Amino acid sequence: MKEENFSPEQSLQLIQTMISKTKQDMSDNSIYFLVWGWLTFFACTGQFVLKHIYNYEKHYLVWLVVIVGIIFSIYQGRKEKKRSRATSYIDDSIKYLWSGMAASFFVLGMILTKLGWGIVVFPFFIMLYGLGTFVSGSIIRFRPLVIGGIVAWALAIGSTLVSYDYQMLFGAAAILVSYIIPAYMLRSRNNIANK
Amino acid sequence: MTQTEKQLTEKESLDLIAMMINKAKDTRRDTGIAAIMWGAVIAICSLVRLSEIHFGYKLPFDIYLLTFAAVIPQIYFSVKEKKKRKAKAYGDVFFDNMWMAFGICIFLMIFITGSIYSGLKPMTEEYQKLTGHSAPFHFYEFNSSFFLLLYGLPTFVTGVSMKFKPMLWGGLLCWVCCIVTIYTTVKIDLILTALSSIFAWFIPGLIMEKDYRKAKKGLAAANV
Repeated sequence: MKEENFSPEQSLQLIQTMISKTKQDMSDNSIYFLVWGWLTFFACTGQFVLKHIYNYEKHYLVWLVVIVGIIFSIYQGRKEKKRSRATSYIDDSIKYLWSGMAASFFVLGMILTKLGWGIVVFPFFIMLYGLGTFVSGSIIRFRPLVIGGIVAWALAIGSTLVSYDYQMLFGAAAILVSYIIPAYMLRSRNNIANK
Repeated sequence: MTQTEKQLTEKESLDLIAMMINKAKDTRRDTGIAAIMWGAVIAICSLVRLSEIHFGYKLPFDIYLLTFAAVIPQIYFSVKEKKKRKAKAYGDVFFDNMWMAFGICIFLMIFITGSIYSGLKPMTEEYQKLTGHSAPFHFYEFNSSFFLLLYGLPTFVTGVSMKFKPMLWGGLLCWVCCIVTIYTTVKIDLILTALSSIFAWFIPGLIMEKDYRKAKKGLAAANV
């Protein structure tokens, strides 16, 4: 293959194109962030209402809503697999990061199953939410995601200072700032850019 | 931008990007010194703590303070490597940010597990006072599991992104050991933590260092 020389401007432009493309892809895929974000937000606040306000014993059953997320992700994933498209290095990095995140959530779930879900679970989840969004935001250079990640980490610290019930609200707040709000901002930004 | 550049076909653009990636892959030769250091530090800390428990002695200081001390050479290596890099490849940004986020999460994990432990301690003590026997579980027994969970994430992602199998397998080993430590005693947990840090960081670090030296030699020979 003939070696081509890129000027610094051309290289920067190419990288910028890759980032913009990934931003656009992430915006297209923000449906995952939104579906999972809203489901988790609903589960956190729902569990708080059931446990703290109604004293309902089986308050944790509200987390069954994640089944909806799993079914949706499998369906959406299959649908997208049919649409073959080229992927960039940045797309792959994001994909590997979130595969690693999914594995981490699974392993964390195994630890907490043995330790007991009723002890302290939310600070660990909030910390991981922060890690995923902070790194994703840094890769695509999207500040709301980076800030969302940092705020989630602060909420993880804060959640250790309150009782189990209020940790649920910290979890809901973390989801709001690190998933839901950045996903809407990414969507609207790309909608404006595409007009 | 010229008109010709604008008219690149999709295939041409993809070829161009693929070429860039290959170029980046060929030129990405990190020294494995930081990985070697962290692999050794974590393994030493785990094994010293194991010997403290097994032989029933206590060092005058907490051996895990060594991890805080290791931050100083880490900063030195990072600054040195940054100066050496002629240009920052896009992959570097990803890895730098991910490992930085990992470092932050390690501090958060220390804080979270510490505050949970101190919150549960009075309860377990009271349980022991009331029942006369030890609490059915102690939170510190899960410490290794939480840290192994975190060790696995950036190691796995780095391994799979760099297509560097020793790290990929190392990351997976961290997660497998994490699951095993849920069910094992603290002594076994410490052995598995030492084992994970050796396979996830120390050995891949040695391989990276060897590759780096080889590449440097090759580069020097080409310039002669």
